[in-house]
Amino acid sequence: MLQFFTKLGYLCRESLSSLRRGGWMNWAAISTVTVLLFLFGVCLQTSWQLDSLLDHFGNQLEISVYLQPETQGETIVPMVRGVPHIKDVRTIPKERAWQSLLEELGIADVAEATEQLEGNPLVDELKAIADNAQKVPEIVAQLDRIPGVDRIVYVNEARERLQQIQQGLSWIGIVLTSILSLTAIAVITTTLNLIAVARRNELEIMQLVGATKVWIFLPFVFQGVIFGLVGGGLALALITTLRTLLSNLFFVKTDFLNFLTEGLKLTSLQLSLLPIIIFTLGISVGMVGSFLAIRRFSLR
Amino acid sequence: MLEQQEKVSTSTSTSAKSKQPEVFQQKTLPTEVMIRLQDVSKVYANGGSCLQNVNLNLKRGDFVFITGASGAGKSTLLKLLYGEELPSAGRVYANGCDVNRLRGDRLAKFRRRMGIIFQDYKLIPNRTVAENIAFVLQAQGKRQQEIDRRLIPTLKMVGLADKAEYFPDRLSGGEQQRVSIARAIVGTPPLLLADEPTGNLDVENATQILRTLQNLNTYGATIIVTTHDRQLAALSERPVLQLHQGHLYWVKKP
Repeated sequence: MLQFFTKLGYLCRESLSSLRRGGWMNWAAISTVTVLLFLFGVCLQTSWQLDSLLDHFGNQLEISVYLQPETQGETIVPMVRGVPHIKDVRTIPKERAWQSLLEELGIADVAEATEQLEGNPLVDELKAIADNAQKVPEIVAQLDRIPGVDRIVYVNEARERLQQIQQGLSWIGIVLTSILSLTAIAVITTTLNLIAVARRNELEIMQLVGATKVWIFLPFVFQGVIFGLVGGGLALALITTLRTLLSNLFFVKTDFLNFLTEGLKLTSLQLSLLPIIIFTLGISVGMVGSFLAIRRFSLR
Repeated sequence: MLEQQEKVSTSTSTSAKSKQPEVFQQKTLPTEVMIRLQDVSKVYANGGSCLQNVNLNLKRGDFVFITGASGAGKSTLLKLLYGEELPSAGRVYANGCDVNRLRGDRLAKFRRRMGIIFQDYKLIPNRTVAENIAFVLQAQGKRQQEIDRRLIPTLKMVGLADKAEYFPDRLSGGEQQRVSIARAIVGTPPLLLADEPTGNLDVENATQILRTLQNLNTYGATIIVTTHDRQLAALSERPVLQLHQGHLYWVKKP
């Protein structure tokens, strides 16, 4: 146990003295890792937020059927019920829809708004629930043929758009993370290599007096890990600041924007997962960089 | 000059060889054998040959000088003993190990049981005298308490107790050499290899260093000192070998 602490003490001392010798080169390595982890973290966070937004968009079995202005919802309901795979149908009269829209937009005086627009501009809407998500496109095709039906919107459409955005973002994330990981590894390797070259005599003497490979090189690996941890910490601070700023920006009293803000919030699981993933990536990049740096110093 | 010297030794304690290689039959070395060079040759990559069929047998507790002109191969001989160079032919045994076969951690642990005094001191410039010496023990994973216990007596032994916190560039050549000696002996190794430990030093400093080495020898350490200065070797009562044109000759037998 005592031996372990002796070794740990030595490693910490050596790593810190190596950091002191590195000077501004340390900053080059840390800032590269920070940029990498920040962009990676932002991509990951946005992808989670889109996921959460998709969930907020609700049930993908729900189909909204908008009727022509003169058509009454109640007259169409029986025909809609007749379509196979429809489980349930609800009517939302245009008066109710108008009222809730005005509320969402934060307009209190319904009568005045109606007067300004020369009447209620909305139409009756039917909410049809399918019993199987796979059948939704088929149902939509049949509903479209019913007279009096003007337009059909189903969540899948919106989801697909969002999913496309999410996929695009994932690709951008993967490409950015890969390129920046390589850059960060290269910078860490160069930094540690320069430090190792500056300490070449010392390393040679260490070998000659009987220090093992692990003993000589572990401080370098430690230093790489420190780069990863500090870079991770900075990146996390930046991401958290950015998230807080954005949610403050969206914090308006209208229901619609609140809905968006809610969607952009991370769950507690995601909040604890984000630092773990960022630090793991940072430590990995730091370790790979340090291994590459010391690999060049071949020992017999 | 060389004609007057005995070229082949059959000494029980030390044997050096020039023209007729001596063959060692036994596979395991007797425990009293500290160093054994067996038909060792070293040819460098550029074709330069510095050792040819060298044989040497040293017992524990022996103290020998190896003299020779600059470039005669004295440092190479020591490098073969601590495993920094590999022989082109022959076998090298030291401290119970077949040095040629040692790699990685086994080589590191083998080196922990020997002290090396380098010709160019090899001190770390940005560490103090005390740190330079303690560094060996740290590198070997010794505890701080153990390091502190050994440091002061070693510094006193080489007469540098009052300069423990100095950096090497503030010391004279003789003092730097003594730091290098202190670093080699702080771990009380059973084998000490000193490569020109008195090179560039005045007679007074050189004598002091020799006295320190002899002192260590009385505690049982096996010591090999290389020097280009024959007079220095003659000053001592110890056996002397000479390295000339790749061969090892006895100048003064034990």
